[in-house]
Amino acid sequence: MNSKYQSDKIIFPKSLTSNWRRHLKDYILNIRNIDIELDCGDWELTCKDFTYLKNLCTQRNIEILSVKSSQSKTIISASAIGLNSFFNLKSNNNIGKNLNPRNITVNDKKEDHILFHQGTIRAGERLESKNDIFIFGDVNPGAIVSAGGNVMIWGRLLGIAHAGKNGNDSAKITAMQLKPVQLRISNKVARGPKENPEEGFAEEARIEEGLIVIKPART
Amino acid sequence: MTSDTRVILICSGKGGVGKTTLTANLGISLARKGSQTAVLDADFGLRNLDLLLGLENRIVYTAQEVLEETCRLDQALVKHKQEPNLSLLPAGNPRMLDWLKPEDMKKIVEMLSKQFDYVLIDCPAGVEDGFRNAVAASKEAIIVTNPEVSAVRDADRVIGLLNTNGIKPVQLVLNRVRPKMMESQEMLSIEDVTDILALPLLGLVLEDEQVIVSTNRGEPLTLIGSQSPAARCYSNIAGRLQGEDIPLIDPSKEGDGLRDKFRRLMQTKIF
Repeated sequence: MNSKYQSDKIIFPKSLTSNWRRHLKDYILNIRNIDIELDCGDWELTCKDFTYLKNLCTQRNIEILSVKSSQSKTIISASAIGLNSFFNLKSNNNIGKNLNPRNITVNDKKEDHILFHQGTIRAGERLESKNDIFIFGDVNPGAIVSAGGNVMIWGRLLGIAHAGKNGNDSAKITAMQLKPVQLRISNKVARGPKENPEEGFAEEARIEEGLIVIKPART
Repeated sequence: MTSDTRVILICSGKGGVGKTTLTANLGISLARKGSQTAVLDADFGLRNLDLLLGLENRIVYTAQEVLEETCRLDQALVKHKQEPNLSLLPAGNPRMLDWLKPEDMKKIVEMLSKQFDYVLIDCPAGVEDGFRNAVAASKEAIIVTNPEVSAVRDADRVIGLLNTNGIKPVQLVLNRVRPKMMESQEMLSIEDVTDILALPLLGLVLEDEQVIVSTNRGEPLTLIGSQSPAARCYSNIAGRLQGEDIPLIDPSKEGDGLRDKFRRLMQTKIF
């Protein structure tokens, strides 16, 4: 019964109006004993959704091998419950839009210049870009990230981050866990917070009235 | 056998965390399990792997002479008397530091690969030339670190460098773990370290006074068949390296058992 000899790929429906839950349930209940790859397209799925899917699959002895998506939120939720997840980089423009909705209208070209980095940035390493930086991974203590625009980290920021290094006061630093050694925005410098941030909530740092403040991120 | 040889670099970045001790003990353990093992001291400036193994007085030729072709490889290899599966290739004259290049190191390792299953390279501290030489010749790596902020930081830096050199897999050994201090959160916990370094944990080594005793005597703990905590940790690591499925020890439960207490009592009486 346990022999898995097949693997399959499940692609989420394109249209945003269709009910993916029913679509997938119908599909999954028709198969069993195989490994599947999930292609979530540009769907934004939460941890709850993935738990639902996982339970459904476990009942049918199906293993989810990997999750693909162009939405960073989906990736984060998938990895949060321990699924292998990958960015579908073809449509990565969506990520920029999703994270920073105010920017798209100003300059459409900007999205092309987001620097993507997947993986941990380790001590002594330095990541620099003239524009926005998006990191899918941790920034370890001793590492430096500096961007002309915003710094977005889907992971922990434990090192030094510099946003708006060319004097852009409206730049922001966003991270799932913000506990940096030092924060720099434009020409302002601040030491990182001493206490541990609350877990599970993304935070952002930006300049308010000439000071760098850390607040829960607005999504 | 050439392609099957596992060339493992043992490095840490920071000095004094236990690279050489791990190399010596791992070498002995692997040899005990029947693998032909060579340990290579890449710490040319400050070599002391020979001291730890108690082989200092038997060194005649070194890697340097082998490369200059003034002697054969098997003349330079020092076979351990009690553990004939283990050989040491001494590093060479500390006064001639600049002779070695990454190519030389590769050549040495290639020669060793022909007759050994495992080649363990004891990397020097730091990330300068010595480190670069050692990295050039290795295929996989073990990072040794202590649960201290500075050691973890240096290890992190080294992992970054290993990644850029395409060395895979890189595994982690957490050395000098003190269960009591971890429990009271005076020391970085295992999770803290693995969280930052994001590496698979190959093993823990408990803090153990016997390590110092054995180092000074030139008899690695695993050689004398010691049952001390560190010795067990080392042989577990060797087992895992060979693909055995040995569960990690739980530091919080260590030293509670009657056997451990009895052993401690015995040791205090003897020493």
